[in-house]
Amino acid sequence: MTHWTILPILLPAAVASLLALAGRRDLVLARAASLASAVVLLLVAIGLAAAASDGTIRTYALGDWPAPFGIVLVVDRLSALMLTLTAALALAVLLHCANGWDARGRHFHALFQFQLMGLNGAFLTGDFFNLFVFFEILLIASYGLMVHGGGAARVRAGLQYVVVNLVGSTLFLFAVGLLYGVTGTLNMADLALKVPAVPPADQGLLRSGALLLLFVFALKAALVPLHLWLPGTYSNAPAPVAALFAVLTKVGAYAIIRLSTLAFGDTAGDLAWLAAPWLMPAAMLTLTLGMVGVLAARRLAVMISFAVVGSVGTLLIAVALFTQQAIAAALYYLVQSTLAAGAFFLVADLVGERRAKGDLLAAGPRIAQAGLIGALFLLAAIAMTGLPPLSGFVGKLLILDATRDAFNRNWIWSLLLSTSLLAIVGFARAGSVLFWKGGVIGEKVGAQPPRRTVLPVAAVGLLLAANVALTVGAGPVVRYLDAAATQLFAPAAYIDAVLGAEGENE
Amino acid sequence: MPLALIVILPFAGAVLPALFARTGRDAAALAAFGVSALALGLLLSLAPQVFGGDVVYAGQPWLPRLGLNAHLFLDGLGFLFALLILAIGLLVIVYARSYLPARDAGGRFHALLLLFQGAMLGIVLSDNVLLLLVFWELTSLASFLLIGYWRHQPEARQGARMALTVTVAGGLALIAGMLILGDIAGSYDLTLILQRGAAIRASPQYLPALLLILAGCFTKSAQFPFHFWLPHAMAAPTPVSAYLHSATMVKAGVFLLARLWPVLSGTDAWFYLVATTGLVTMLIGAVVALFRDELKALLAFSTVSHLGLVTMLFGFGTPLAAVAGVFHILNHAIFKAALFMNAGIVDHEVGSRDLRHLGGLAALMPLTATSGAVAAASMAGVPLLNGFLSKEMMLDAAAQAQWAGQGWIVPLVATLAAMVSVAYSLRYAIQVFFVRRHEPYRKNVRDPAPGLWLPPLLLVVVVMLIGVFPGTFAGSLVASAANAVVGAPVRGYELALWHGATPALALSVFAFAGGGILLWRQANTRALWQAAPHPQAKPAFDAAVAAVTDFCRAVTDGLHDGSLRHYLGWIVAGALVVGVGGFLGGGHAVGTRATLAAPPVAIVAWLLLVASCAGVLAFERRRMLALVMLGVIGLIVAFGFLYLSAPDLALTQIAVEVVTVILMLLALTVLPHETPRVAQRPRRLGDGGLATGAGLGAGAAAFALMTRDFDSLSTYYLERSLPDGGGANVVNVILVDFRGFDTFGEIIVLGIAALAVFALVDGARGLARTGAVPGMVAADRHPLLLAVAARVMLPLALVVASYVFLRGHNAPGGGFVAGLIVAIALIMQYVAGGTQWAAQRMRVDVHALIGTGVLLAAATGFSAWVFARPFLTSAYGHLALPLVGRVEVATAMAFDAGVFLTVVGAVMLMLASLGRIGRGPAKPLRTRAAIPPAAPRFAED
Amino acid sequence: MELLVASAIGVLTASGVQLVLRGRSFPVVLGLALLSYAVNGFLLASGRLAVGLPPLIRAAGPYTDPLPQALVLTAIVISFGMTAVTVGMAVRSFLESGSDDVDAPAASDGEEAPGR
Repeated sequence: MTHWTILPILLPAAVASLLALAGRRDLVLARAASLASAVVLLLVAIGLAAAASDGTIRTYALGDWPAPFGIVLVVDRLSALMLTLTAALALAVLLHCANGWDARGRHFHALFQFQLMGLNGAFLTGDFFNLFVFFEILLIASYGLMVHGGGAARVRAGLQYVVVNLVGSTLFLFAVGLLYGVTGTLNMADLALKVPAVPPADQGLLRSGALLLLFVFALKAALVPLHLWLPGTYSNAPAPVAALFAVLTKVGAYAIIRLSTLAFGDTAGDLAWLAAPWLMPAAMLTLTLGMVGVLAARRLAVMISFAVVGSVGTLLIAVALFTQQAIAAALYYLVQSTLAAGAFFLVADLVGERRAKGDLLAAGPRIAQAGLIGALFLLAAIAMTGLPPLSGFVGKLLILDATRDAFNRNWIWSLLLSTSLLAIVGFARAGSVLFWKGGVIGEKVGAQPPRRTVLPVAAVGLLLAANVALTVGAGPVVRYLDAAATQLFAPAAYIDAVLGAEGENE
Repeated sequence: MPLALIVILPFAGAVLPALFARTGRDAAALAAFGVSALALGLLLSLAPQVFGGDVVYAGQPWLPRLGLNAHLFLDGLGFLFALLILAIGLLVIVYARSYLPARDAGGRFHALLLLFQGAMLGIVLSDNVLLLLVFWELTSLASFLLIGYWRHQPEARQGARMALTVTVAGGLALIAGMLILGDIAGSYDLTLILQRGAAIRASPQYLPALLLILAGCFTKSAQFPFHFWLPHAMAAPTPVSAYLHSATMVKAGVFLLARLWPVLSGTDAWFYLVATTGLVTMLIGAVVALFRDELKALLAFSTVSHLGLVTMLFGFGTPLAAVAGVFHILNHAIFKAALFMNAGIVDHEVGSRDLRHLGGLAALMPLTATSGAVAAASMAGVPLLNGFLSKEMMLDAAAQAQWAGQGWIVPLVATLAAMVSVAYSLRYAIQVFFVRRHEPYRKNVRDPAPGLWLPPLLLVVVVMLIGVFPGTFAGSLVASAANAVVGAPVRGYELALWHGATPALALSVFAFAGGGILLWRQANTRALWQAAPHPQAKPAFDAAVAAVTDFCRAVTDGLHDGSLRHYLGWIVAGALVVGVGGFLGGGHAVGTRATLAAPPVAIVAWLLLVASCAGVLAFERRRMLALVMLGVIGLIVAFGFLYLSAPDLALTQIAVEVVTVILMLLALTVLPHETPRVAQRPRRLGDGGLATGAGLGAGAAAFALMTRDFDSLSTYYLERSLPDGGGANVVNVILVDFRGFDTFGEIIVLGIAALAVFALVDGARGLARTGAVPGMVAADRHPLLLAVAARVMLPLALVVASYVFLRGHNAPGGGFVAGLIVAIALIMQYVAGGTQWAAQRMRVDVHALIGTGVLLAAATGFSAWVFARPFLTSAYGHLALPLVGRVEVATAMAFDAGVFLTVVGAVMLMLASLGRIGRGPAKPLRTRAAIPPAAPRFAED
Repeated sequence: MELLVASAIGVLTASGVQLVLRGRSFPVVLGLALLSYAVNGFLLASGRLAVGLPPLIRAAGPYTDPLPQALVLTAIVISFGMTAVTVGMAVRSFLESGSDDVDAPAASDGEEAPGR
């Protein structure tokens, strides 16, 4: 039996508790512990991904109680992928925090670790009430991080973020109640078995519950019209936190993919793919409104936040097709857009800390290290808008190719391509205003660069490097994702692994 | 493999100039030159094979799943373009070295130039259309950065963005086109696509594919009506204009036309779309060029016109026309690059590019004048120069073209365009170099440094060599390129000076005559032009962009108006739609489960609940009152739990209720006690509607659930709780054992909540206004009676708590409730004794308490690892305690102890933190964003 | 009985939503509290109702469904933590801006950049 499976949850929990216990007076200690934990998490995640890459699904029965009665953790290709992505992003963000963000309030690193715990738990658990618990963990940690550093605008936005998500949590519980009340189970695999057997007399309630659950996930993923909270939240959050939040919306996307393919897929009889008809139009609208917002934004962080909304739309368009190829494409896009958004928020921070006007899109004196920061901005923008040569382009191609036979192919294509234009125009304007307007070649630079620049810049470099690796290694990466999608479309293996596994593993 | 290197070298080498720039402009230029020269050498080494008629392949799969392969191939067409790109690139690098201002070492410039070079080479050498797309967009990016190179000039920035917008838009269309093309052909590999022309032309998807691909080509090659970006791209440094915007990048579009010629050409759609666009562009470009006074603008429009010429030739779809097109690509690249460099020299030396202020330079700068005049003559199509030859071939092809069955339209328009191009070419040469200028130039004008005049001169030499000995110097190049375009050996043409008295010759003579007249009668033609309307592209474009932006702003600000109420409204409404919609989507039958009778007490409780809900709503503005009523509701709910056989819930509910109310009271010590009245009736109605809907939905769902039977996991828990879990209180066993992991998460939530509240309040220090905070926390108000009571109560509370804790596993109770009881008792000390008094006596660090609690819970979990069991596996034994009686001592209880500690710590920390508000220095209210201190404040606590 | 419980859940939900839609932080907090009562009731109801059958293993059953009770307990605790954070944020927000209004400027608005 392997305990590696649960480490991504327990390690950050332990580190966070220790930091709350001892580390809160010593910033250096906190940083070190936090970084170390992130590194270990990354290694463990990669290990789990490697172990999962052969197709075996590992389960971990907590308290040694057999599923569906106890809570069970499950590692398949998809969850391993999400763990790795989260760890990589977290590592970069923590490096960036060396520029002093973590000193602007209390308990930053403890909250950060708890956030990681919540994320990893959400990706690992095979029980949808336990999923609720981990959602709450990652949310409440994110509340703390969101208002880290304070400021009226930020706290106000934080309050909105909290209230919106509390309403979401309430809905989550209503949905849990409905599902339990009809199927009598909380275990996802068990649910997958029970759903087809539900008598017609109860299917209305079941559908209602399932859709409400997916609705809540859509709220986390910021699907129109449930996206309204996102721009205000991300653009007002501390930049590194916003960068970490880039993976938060993906939790929603993950949950939608997981539950749809597992319990409401081909095997679900009358309820097969019940989300699709709702998801597709909403996703297309999300993409549109997101990129429209990019062009409308007056602050760089706001612009990036709307780009995140747009990327969610793109991602869910592919998901909504619920074909294996499309899901694989969606997963690639998920990974790359997360890395891109993370990098971009960090770049926005580098820009903001060098300008008197912050990240406001208005001409100012030429910033310190304009060449370096400008180059990073360019790369991040390329990755975000899906221009070659970075992985955004590959991701977009994959999705375009995967939607080739979709019933609404022409709509999807014209939407994807035209909105890309909006985004490109928007970011071109932003770059031109921030780096070109004002200042001539060879001009003396006004502002001095901030004290610490190496690590913050290195963090961006790390994420962009990952993006490049994703592009160059697209072949093997997509092979893995294809396999992951295949696994999702054959849920029987998952169900056997969970319900067949009486606590023992391998 | 040299082929791959040709593409890789410029990309890899792009860093060198940036590095060497530190050691000076020569180093930077030299690095760039070396890289290009090396690539050129490699290319030439492959010349024999290509001229020998075979194709060189290289590359490897990249993303096979998608059909995106890094495959390159070099045939005649690719060779011609690669040669142009590298050779002219070399000259441009030399030229730029002297052209750029001395204070600019040019590291960035040469790096970007090399990046562009690599991308351009990628386009012309790709054997995979997706790969081609990658390089295609890269050239747009490079052009964007190079046009905006002089970032301080507004027109540079705007020109750059306009070019990017137009070319990228085309590029996006091209993506779709290529995807469709690949869809039809069943592969994205060019060589395969080229073999499936017939199938593709026959496919119903041919037309959409064609339209999308042409959109890409026409935007890139500045064809009407997408030509407007090119003149604005002239804000770029002249070397860039010479390289990207005349010789190479703008040729990418016509290159693609040539590349896909065997696949797409030969249909009516192709002929009318491509040939017509080319024809129109050729004429319009020429006419506008004639009336431009700014040198680079004139050249830009003439470029547009000549690109139109080439487009038209490929549009004809005949092999001979294709040959002419290929040949003119070569010729135009050479003489136009020379002309741009020439214009650059004039600008550089005289400081003006305005024809009206120039003149008589032949005497001052003979070398420049010579090369300029010859190049212009070639552009006009003067015999013995290369321009003449390809123009002859063009007119020849035009003479044979039938447009809508009319044989005269194309030749006429083509000749007109030729006529005008003669006029503007001569105008350029005469105005700049030969017309006498009245007042002398301010500074003394000379031929510049060799770095500037040599490159154009070399190009002009080539112009003449090809012009006189076309067969020798261009024969095999054009032949192999033409064969590659057509896909088969092309016969029936010869590159020669004299073809005899052909109709083309007649047309060309006619063109010269007309051109001369046009120039001679310039005044009249200008008057005509002034009279004619000229739609201005830039204002229109800017207006369009502005309109789109405004629209986006309107939409965005309208939706994201920052009103939480709207956001929540969308969510509630959405949930209703989805929930009800989902329900209606499936079957439903009324439940058959026997319902319970409702005793009077329940009815009374119900009435009380409804009443207090109404009360909360009614008195919501008087917050204290509302809070009291909330407490009442909480108690009723607890009562309900108790009645519905959930004693644990009742206990917890009451305990939580107390703490919650204390929390809110603390909040009310800061928040205003009154809510301002919201008047708008429609808003109230809307909210009411949503609320009612939600209520009905929730109630109905609950009722539907309760009135139907189901079987759940629960039997398992009821059976196993005592034997396997060691506890009679099943709920508690589930919490600490079966689903202990949930509880583990739950206490972590609590802990985080406490830390978050602490962080929030801690950050708010100094924001609070002293004196604003009454009773609860102020040190001075603590009635003796309460103080005594509280201190007596404390030990009592501890006993009760430990009792509740110990029996928890078998009877209602448990760590959570016990924790709350202790916390409340301790808080009473604060209330009664005041914070200082209590703080002095309470040495325990609540942060630590939380950490310890979580760690203890975790540790119990880990302990199972020792026995090779999963996290949180429990074991238990029995123990008899006085008073309490026989209790199970399960490891689960250690876990529960962890819960207990966390709860105490968390609740203490929350309440204490909120209680602390109000201490700290007075501070005026602010309504704008606060900038918190950036310095680490970890030292003090 | 079922009807009473169901309608009570409905009433709580409705009042909760009504309060949450107020533009001020304190009513919102009250509303969230009401909503959590409602949903806790709903969860308990999802295990069906039973009177006088607490899941304490003594005499032979029957017992009511214990699982929803456990879920509700978890939910109560979590929502308590959430309430605390919300209250903390409401207070902080009030101290920062001098108003307990929960509405923010429009999202794309650049005028109010957050503090660093």
